[in-house]
Amino acid sequence: MNTYSTNETVDAVVIGTGAGGAPLLARLAQAGLRVVALEAGTEKDPKTDYATDERAQEFLFWNDERLSAGENPLAFGSNNSGTGVGGSTLHYTAYTPRAQPDDMRLRTEFGVAADWPVDYHQDIEPYYDELEHFLGVSGPNDYPWGPKRKRNYPLPPLPLNGAAQLMQRGCAQLGIRTSPAANAALSGRYYQEGVGWREACTNRGFCQAGCSVGAKASMDVTFIPLARAHGAEVRPDAFVTTFDRDSQGRITAVVYVQNGQTHRQKCTTVFLCAGAVETPRLLLINELANSSGQVGRNVMAHPGLQIWGEFDEDVRPYKGIPGGLISEDTHRPFVGKSADFAGGYLLQSIGVMPVTYAKQMARGRGLWGQALIDAMSRYNHVAGINILGDGLPYDHNYLELSDELDARGLPKPRVFHTDGENEKKMNAHADHIMRDIWAAAGAKNVWAFPRAAHIIGTCRMGHSREENVVNANGQSFDIPNLYISDNSTFPSSLSVNPALTIMALALRTADKFLL
Amino acid sequence: MTYPSGTVRALLDTDHVSPATREALQTRLAQQPQTPRFFTPDETELLRHIAARLLPQPTTREQIDVVGPVDHRLAHDESDGWRYDALPADPDAWRLGLNAFQEAAQAQFGHPFTLLDGVQQDELIGQMQQGTAVGVSLTPHQSKRFFEDMLAELTGIYFSHPLAQEAIGYVGMADKPRWDRVGLNELEEREPREL
Repeated sequence: MNTYSTNETVDAVVIGTGAGGAPLLARLAQAGLRVVALEAGTEKDPKTDYATDERAQEFLFWNDERLSAGENPLAFGSNNSGTGVGGSTLHYTAYTPRAQPDDMRLRTEFGVAADWPVDYHQDIEPYYDELEHFLGVSGPNDYPWGPKRKRNYPLPPLPLNGAAQLMQRGCAQLGIRTSPAANAALSGRYYQEGVGWREACTNRGFCQAGCSVGAKASMDVTFIPLARAHGAEVRPDAFVTTFDRDSQGRITAVVYVQNGQTHRQKCTTVFLCAGAVETPRLLLINELANSSGQVGRNVMAHPGLQIWGEFDEDVRPYKGIPGGLISEDTHRPFVGKSADFAGGYLLQSIGVMPVTYAKQMARGRGLWGQALIDAMSRYNHVAGINILGDGLPYDHNYLELSDELDARGLPKPRVFHTDGENEKKMNAHADHIMRDIWAAAGAKNVWAFPRAAHIIGTCRMGHSREENVVNANGQSFDIPNLYISDNSTFPSSLSVNPALTIMALALRTADKFLL
Repeated sequence: MTYPSGTVRALLDTDHVSPATREALQTRLAQQPQTPRFFTPDETELLRHIAARLLPQPTTREQIDVVGPVDHRLAHDESDGWRYDALPADPDAWRLGLNAFQEAAQAQFGHPFTLLDGVQQDELIGQMQQGTAVGVSLTPHQSKRFFEDMLAELTGIYFSHPLAQEAIGYVGMADKPRWDRVGLNELEEREPREL
């Protein structure tokens, strides 16, 4: 890794080191650019510093307070927001299904949300292929849904745990197709450029509280070492507050606070990759890049309804990759005439850590007293299924700055989220199917936990500067040397987990910039 | 389902647990209740009574302190990343919420919450959860939200404790070198069997 002086004008500053920042950082460094990444969180060594304990791992979450408003307020923190060198990938589940081409054409197909301003086969698919092989995704050779991939996944699927076997059993009885899922966790040792050998997954089931093995492809064990090997500098504990600009409005330096000291890093270009809350928050605080008035608009979240049940079998839900099995038979229920909503969803088996499960029973079922203790005594027999579906943008869902200041003296963000008719219909459809699957698999005491996963939107990309914050390359319409690369630019939320697509767009933005 | 006691504590001394995991869990096991810094003595006593109804503990083993970690968090103004916009900041919400329990106890039974019997306390807890408790500290909507937050936080603290984890047969912390038997009804030697 190189180090740069703050007075040296580097080619690029990358703000945030998650799925949006790290791939781009590596790409720019590989091209010989002088690049500095500023990461608000700290840097740890997972092998020695991570405990297999949910409470001890809470440092992985973005724990600065956000205000959750609307009729279906979004949970932040452990639900969707990370910090540290590696960003939210430190606690993502590593679930890496590809989006399908029609996921990016909701406007054309259904007249809702917005089409993506990119071509799936030219602009996205090649990056999926590259990423799956760089990260070492474990998945099946014959995946039943979506366009046929050019190459097989580099590693076979991870073993199916109890929840995956139960979902397989239930779906088989109902004629729903299933497949082992694609996960960015290694089913065998894997050699990776810039890193060396990464060890195989030990089935410890703790992906959402950090991987201590290095098997999960979080950014700290993949793109960040690659970036450093090519000369990038990563500065942890560096919280960006504002920018210096010239008379034309171009950014000349990024201003950040590290260990109580304010620094200004001079640079030619800025890549803002802080996620769908901190990215618009920083822009709104500084009244930047918002001539469209769209910064903070189009907040989306994935309907992520979970159905839990108890089984006679020993499940031990703490073991194995949490999302072992997938079905995308519900990708377009509208086409099969079983539904009247736009978009669709995937079905996924889920294992669960005990504290997460207990807190969900407190919030979702309202259980307390002996009823809660008794329900938790059956934890080892619990398995879940959940969906991940398209959540649409609405005028009533947006992010704004509140009047309340945080410890840094910056306004806390307030995020409004209320399900629309489409989300209600989708959840009802999924509730029915998942209860049928669990009944067929032999579940008792079945209960539903309504939730929304991921936060998406707030700095939409598109062709017109009137309706979007950035163009298809991630470049701001207002400030030409400012790019955004994270889930805030998604025009629609997709019916799959976002991480793989965030990384694909990040690499594409870097390549377009380097042209 | 019941499981043998002592399972987690025995595993902590083995190579199945990493040094970082061992340290986190042994520190928690050894933690003794501290003098509260955020809650007043009355609030502490009230919250202990509420917690005893929300998370009843067996009298046959050491009691898990669920109040201390809440006090520590509020004293240090720490957050879990979000709060319901309908509620004030966490320190204010907790003060108001605890006061709401007292208001309801006085209004309904003419006594402080801590002097009521378990049945009466449970009735008030149910009212707080439903937003029907009598009082002015919280609106009905705030009462529901505060109760949900309080219950989730106390529950998370409780089931993070090795003694509570032993009781449900959880040994996920003993994950070294790896889990090979991960399918249905597949147990490793070190996983406890139900009694």
